[in-house]
Amino acid sequence: MICKKICMLGAFAVGKSALVEQFVHSIFSDKYLSTVGVKISKKNVSVEGKDVSLILWDMEGRDLYVDANLSYLRGAMGFFVVADGTRRETLETALDLRKAAHDAVGNIPSCLLINKDDLSGMWEVTESMLENIAGQGIRYIRTSAKTGLAVEEAFSTLTRDMLRHAG
Amino acid sequence: MTAESTGREPLTGAPEGAGADDGFWDAIPEKPSDEELVRLRNLLFRHEIALVERLRELQDNQRYNARKVSESLPEAIQLRTGKDQLMEHSLAPVVDDIVRTLLRKRRGDFVEALFPLMGPSIRKSMAESFRSMLGSFSKSMEMAFSWKGLRWRLEAIRSGKPFSEIVMLNTLVYRVEQIFFIHSQTGIPLVHLAFDEEQGKDADMVSSMFTAIQDFVRDCFAGGDSEGELESLQLGDHTIVVEKGAQAYLACVVRGTPPASFREQLRTTLDSLLLEYAEPLSGFSGDTEPFAGAVHYLDDCLTSHFADDDKKIPWWGKAMPVFLVAALVGAVGLYQYRQVLEDRERQAVERERQAYESKLEEALNALRAAPGLLVINVAAGQGTPREATVLKDALAEAPEDALRRQGYDPDMFAFKVVPFISYDPSIVVRRVQRTISLPDTVSMSFDKGTLSFSGVASLGWIVGARDQARALPGVERVDVSGLRDPAMDRISELIAQVEATVVEFALGKDTPVPEDAPKLQKAVDSLVELENIVKKMGFTVSLVIYGHADATGTDKRNYEISQARTRTVAAMLYGRGSSMSVAMYGMGASYPKDGQKEGQAEQAPKHAGADARGDQSSRRVELRVHVLRSAAADPGILLSQP
Repeated sequence: MICKKICMLGAFAVGKSALVEQFVHSIFSDKYLSTVGVKISKKNVSVEGKDVSLILWDMEGRDLYVDANLSYLRGAMGFFVVADGTRRETLETALDLRKAAHDAVGNIPSCLLINKDDLSGMWEVTESMLENIAGQGIRYIRTSAKTGLAVEEAFSTLTRDMLRHAG
Repeated sequence: MTAESTGREPLTGAPEGAGADDGFWDAIPEKPSDEELVRLRNLLFRHEIALVERLRELQDNQRYNARKVSESLPEAIQLRTGKDQLMEHSLAPVVDDIVRTLLRKRRGDFVEALFPLMGPSIRKSMAESFRSMLGSFSKSMEMAFSWKGLRWRLEAIRSGKPFSEIVMLNTLVYRVEQIFFIHSQTGIPLVHLAFDEEQGKDADMVSSMFTAIQDFVRDCFAGGDSEGELESLQLGDHTIVVEKGAQAYLACVVRGTPPASFREQLRTTLDSLLLEYAEPLSGFSGDTEPFAGAVHYLDDCLTSHFADDDKKIPWWGKAMPVFLVAALVGAVGLYQYRQVLEDRERQAVERERQAYESKLEEALNALRAAPGLLVINVAAGQGTPREATVLKDALAEAPEDALRRQGYDPDMFAFKVVPFISYDPSIVVRRVQRTISLPDTVSMSFDKGTLSFSGVASLGWIVGARDQARALPGVERVDVSGLRDPAMDRISELIAQVEATVVEFALGKDTPVPEDAPKLQKAVDSLVELENIVKKMGFTVSLVIYGHADATGTDKRNYEISQARTRTVAAMLYGRGSSMSVAMYGMGASYPKDGQKEGQAEQAPKHAGADARGDQSSRRVELRVHVLRSAAADPGILLSQP
């Protein structure tokens, strides 16, 4: 069995928990998020004929991450950084977090999820911003925790990357 | 002459490149001589010269090789090390020596280098020791006063094992319900074993969460001190024991209280795991497959040391209530049985005591029946031997002998014997027998105080026996009438004969009439015989001679003549040598033969038909005989024929 530790980073209320709750299995309640600062969930995916168990470390949404929180990143084999498409500052936070995470744990596979695609009419994140991100070599996926858009795809993509990375 | 420097001409000069330090070539004697000499030398030493040439080449090569080797040595070592262990083996002694030397010379440097490494390990080791010591101490204290402790004490007493061992056995009552081998950084469980399969389902999430919590705890409380680690969590009767390693750690969910040794076991297991899986751990990318074999290590922690509630009570433990009831019933039974036994024993003892007492009583009765013994006191109580005070006649047998003779154990008593004189008839008889030796011809009987002899015995014996018997205690009367002395018959006969003799005298004469002279002679013979007989018996004969006269003549004359007639008899008697005492009484004519004038018939019986005028039968002497005890004649014991 292959297990991968992945982290979910993101600013407050960007829908990380929603993404996780909808599509993954957890035995812990949300209160861990506010107490311990992290909540563990699990997602089984099958990629390229391999069954992979993703252990998701859903981290408390903060606007300003402190070292304590980043310590949960230790040993992560990949991470999602989540932004809320309707709030532009969350994307900035996400990018900051992404950078901080890479600084902390090195060059591991990651994926930027821009959530709340179902509310696309209210998006503050513009296409040009997205192009800019893509231009930096940062892969992003537009997801919707509400509709389930691209959520499975996001997990599969990251898993595939991680498998290749571990290669 | 100097050899030209034409390259390598041997022995003609110092070789090229020879430094100042290469004194070998300088030492070759360079003594140029003429062509012949050179040729001769070449001829003579051709082989040697060639040899020297080869040696020089070899030396050059060595220098060259050393340079070459110095360049390739590290690489060579690296290559060889990867290949096999030979390099380590070859270098080990050298390195060993080097390290020793360095340690000697630069101890300070080593201490400085090692201290940061040793300090924490020592601290940790000491902390571990303290914890296990405190653990067992507090456990002991707990055990000393609790109900469980009491039970275990009982168990210890019952099983004969030391209490500490029982405590240890019982302290092992715990169950390792889950064990995680977790990759430290990712929190991914590399191996997870659970006592209950159900618990294993979400092991990966639990493991990760637990790892997160540890991070959280460390971040929150250790304040960035990386040495601080969460080592155990207590939750009700569950303990989560964590044993940390650099890349992975063990976490055990334990129900109950694990003994201190459990942590040591975990440590050992973890060390083995870290060593075994060092490589997959360092390159861990989420694949838990390589760690499958770790299950065997962990199995030991999960199975061999967990004490399941059912298992920890062995079969005999389950059967304990039955045993206890059985033991209780057995104990009660045993107690009652023993009571019965004791009762029986008591009864037996009582019976024995009574038997003994009655035996004693019997023995005492036997003793009381024994003649000459008188039991006057027996000590009360139950002691053996029993003290008894007994009055004993000198002639009675000893009380011990009396008992033994009748079949009793004399040791039953301790006798205190007081002498006394018994009037018991048999003792009196014995006393008589002991005092008086009875001849075979004499028999004796004793009845109601009267001792009777019968049979034939000498008169002397009879008298002696009678006197002695009278003096004996218990003898009130002595009857010797049944005794007869054969000599007495003769004595009686002689006395009768003598006393029947009447010797008549002629008128006016003191000599007997001729026809009576033989009668007198015979009487004197008889008296002499009598005297002889009784003298042997210790007696004497006393004779009284009465002389009589007839009425003719004067009284004076009559008295004289009657007296003269008595003298005639006495003279005859003395003439025979007798020494008996004789009393002579001249009676005159007062006792005529045929009539007693003055009524003294006894002393002078009258002849029948005698007349007053000169009756011959009145002129007579009469004899009376008394046998007396000799010497100290005692008239009281006068023995006369009845």
